[in-house]
Amino acid sequence: MGRRDTKTPFVPERDAYKAPVMECVNLGIDFGGLTAVNDFCITIGPTEICGLIGPNGAGKTTIFNLLTKVYQPTRGSVYLNGVDTKNLNSEKANRAGLARTFQNIRLFKNMTVMENVLVGLHNKTEYGLGEAILRMPAYWRAEKIARARTLELLEIFDMQGIHGHKAGSLPYGSQRRLEIVRALATGPTVLLLDEPAAGMNPAETEELMENILKINKVFKIAIVLIEHDMKLVMGICEGIGVLNYGKLIAKGTPAEIQKNPLVIEAYLGKAEGEGDA
Amino acid sequence: MKEFTISTPARYVMNTVLVLMFLFIGNHITQSGILLRSQYALLIQIGFFIILAVSLNLVTGYLGQLPLGHAGFMAVGAYAGALFWRAHLLPPTLSIIVGLIVAGVVAAIFGVLIGVPALRLRGDYLAIITLGFGEIIRVMLTNLDSITYGARGLLNIPRYSSFLIVYACVVITCTVIHMLMKSRHGRAILSIRENEIAAESCGIKTTYYKVLAFAVSAFFAGVAGALFAGNQGLLVPSDFDFMTSINILMIVVLGGLGSMFGSVVAAAVLTFLPFMLQPLADYRMIIYSLMLIIVMIFKPSGLLGSYEFSLSRIIEKVVNKALSLRGGAAKGGR
Amino acid sequence: MLLVAQLINGLQLGSIYALIALGYSMVYGIVKLLNFAHGDIIMVGGYIALFSLTFGQHPLLAAALTVAGCTVLAIVIEKLAYTPLRFAPRLSLLITAIGVSILLQNLAQYFFSASGRSFPGHLMIPHGSVSLGGVMVSYTSVITIVTSLVSMAALTMLVKHTKLGKAMRAVSEDQDAARLMGVNVNSVITFTFAVGAALAGIGALLYSVRFPLIFPTVGAMLGLKAFVAAVFGGIGSIPGAMLGGYAIGLLEVLVTAVGLSRWVDGVVFMVLICVLMVRPTGIMGRNMMEKV
Repeated sequence: MGRRDTKTPFVPERDAYKAPVMECVNLGIDFGGLTAVNDFCITIGPTEICGLIGPNGAGKTTIFNLLTKVYQPTRGSVYLNGVDTKNLNSEKANRAGLARTFQNIRLFKNMTVMENVLVGLHNKTEYGLGEAILRMPAYWRAEKIARARTLELLEIFDMQGIHGHKAGSLPYGSQRRLEIVRALATGPTVLLLDEPAAGMNPAETEELMENILKINKVFKIAIVLIEHDMKLVMGICEGIGVLNYGKLIAKGTPAEIQKNPLVIEAYLGKAEGEGDA
Repeated sequence: MKEFTISTPARYVMNTVLVLMFLFIGNHITQSGILLRSQYALLIQIGFFIILAVSLNLVTGYLGQLPLGHAGFMAVGAYAGALFWRAHLLPPTLSIIVGLIVAGVVAAIFGVLIGVPALRLRGDYLAIITLGFGEIIRVMLTNLDSITYGARGLLNIPRYSSFLIVYACVVITCTVIHMLMKSRHGRAILSIRENEIAAESCGIKTTYYKVLAFAVSAFFAGVAGALFAGNQGLLVPSDFDFMTSINILMIVVLGGLGSMFGSVVAAAVLTFLPFMLQPLADYRMIIYSLMLIIVMIFKPSGLLGSYEFSLSRIIEKVVNKALSLRGGAAKGGR
Repeated sequence: MLLVAQLINGLQLGSIYALIALGYSMVYGIVKLLNFAHGDIIMVGGYIALFSLTFGQHPLLAAALTVAGCTVLAIVIEKLAYTPLRFAPRLSLLITAIGVSILLQNLAQYFFSASGRSFPGHLMIPHGSVSLGGVMVSYTSVITIVTSLVSMAALTMLVKHTKLGKAMRAVSEDQDAARLMGVNVNSVITFTFAVGAALAGIGALLYSVRFPLIFPTVGAMLGLKAFVAAVFGGIGSIPGAMLGGYAIGLLEVLVTAVGLSRWVDGVVFMVLICVLMVRPTGIMGRNMMEKV
């Protein structure tokens, strides 16, 4: 493989001949007069694990918020499975196949672990209001399936034993894991993880890496993650996008990114004397 | 040793039997004339306050919004039910049931009408809009003389609110809201209270569920209003002022936000206390408001928090305790 | 001519609303609390003025006592009821405020009885009127409008051009950041409550002169409407509160003038709901977005 132009859309070879699951075209948003994200373009393959890195304040979380429609973009578009997500709000974006976790964990703290996941399964648990109030057979059937499914999902992180605990009472690392399970429960085609390893110790991070790979294999979904832990990013991501000042400055394989001068500059700053000449 | 548990069907049967027994015995006692008039009146009053508090709790405790116009929905239901009953369109028994449904449905329609715009706003704005709505209703009831007889009062409302009717409605209200909350729909409502942004990210139709909670809450407030009308025999708009909304809120808050059992107990206690403490009548509201402030400062989740009473859980606990004691004794004896 | 008279009438009422609305707006801007007790502070102010006038105090002294009394009351409430809840959920704080409001109303009812007492307004502002360009305007109107304008100008100066004002703006922007910059957040919040209450005291005097009947729940509706004015103009914004106050005052007077006086309260709330539908943060309010 020769030197590849990092400007062309990058997806791992495995996904090269498949339609991308998500495409952003010239995405941008302004807050007041301030441009937070501009001309953001990225293509995500259907089973790709993609890392999004960049200095603090580069706009990584803002991009997640744009993708999940917490903010409506000022410019550009996002295509999910080939469909423009222009008219969607957060909840519709989720039903279209986008699930996410949050940098500052947003669990339903006073609900149990199981209930948290059951909320994730909400749209997969099908019974109507009347069926619930009158406790019709459909209710019992769907609830039973949903509860079994919840335990299955919790098993990924070996959390089935604590399904009755209040989510707010869990240790930090488990809260992060539960958020991932809840997101998975919604049945996404793209899973967005916002700093999944934040606050975890090296052993926990190691375990998380394996689990992310497992989710990717078992569920056959794309995973986009924002992370500062380079070991995790370089270890499991097939493609890495680098953001600086709200712009994607490079996307490529970990090896390419590590050598890219623009990336080095963004992280370390320009060496003195260089570039002035 | 296997833990003793009561199976789900057994629990349903047990609870149904107990509820029916309660209604049956209560009905007999009230009809036998053992109770004084004032005691009977109190019992009925506790009934509407339970319905009002449990229905408000759906929005305040479970959905986590603070509407201040619950009396407005009650008023709409009261007038709708009273006008329907006064028209005497149907034979009494049927009329009672249809009247209660009409009251509930009209109130629910108002609930949706105010809910859709109000729920676009958050927190305090919602409080103020619902408060405004309650006031608008009162102004309308006062001024639409030709229909409501305004401040002179709507008279000659058939007195349909017997113990059986009121408490059957109490049971239905509590059951429906309980069944709703223990389902995916209820979990969706709770998730909005817990974290609205996360709920949206899980694909929950937040607006739909907010409006739903509002409508169900308004429906039962309307039913309670009709029961109120059927008890008083007359209605004046000032029955439904801001203080009425606040009284209901006080019950919910003191009982525990998000605890149906708390709402029921608090409705009974707060209605019963002034009756017991006649000599302190002058201080009643002073004491209540102080209690409200003190509870908020020291136990913001209300006196009972989110505790829910469950008879089967208690039986299970007792039986398991007994079993383990016996098991322990048997082992020790060997 | 009639129209002009009505406009002045509306401006007079609007000035009172604006003064009270400022208290709501400032407090909301700084602690995000809908201070339900604000209206009842006005009621207490009304009683203070009533008693000091009936005991033959000089009107200026009565006014000073009223303003001081309201200020002290607000500080006491803030310290006892709101400070312990500084980090509690917003709902708890709001319910506490409602509790304080009911407490004040019922204490007043207990001590002063539920029936109204007439307010000797002429002792405060003498009867009579001046002719302004052919329109007879009562002293009350003139004094009310002028007093409120002066108070609001003073408030604007305070907020814009003093160190304390800068601290207030900082705290309303970001409490934690302000604390890190060495602002004493607690005292700034207390000060805000005090300023709001002082304005409410002035409002209480002017309102009592215009509607000379004091009773324990007099502040409830007045407070609600002033709050409506604050929300209407955009809560947290000082010019918004003024604008909202004048708008609600004029609206009320106009609705009454066309003969719908019994619908006034309904119309006020209706207009509020319509405004919030179009602009959820009021006319001059800023959009607040939750950080995700």
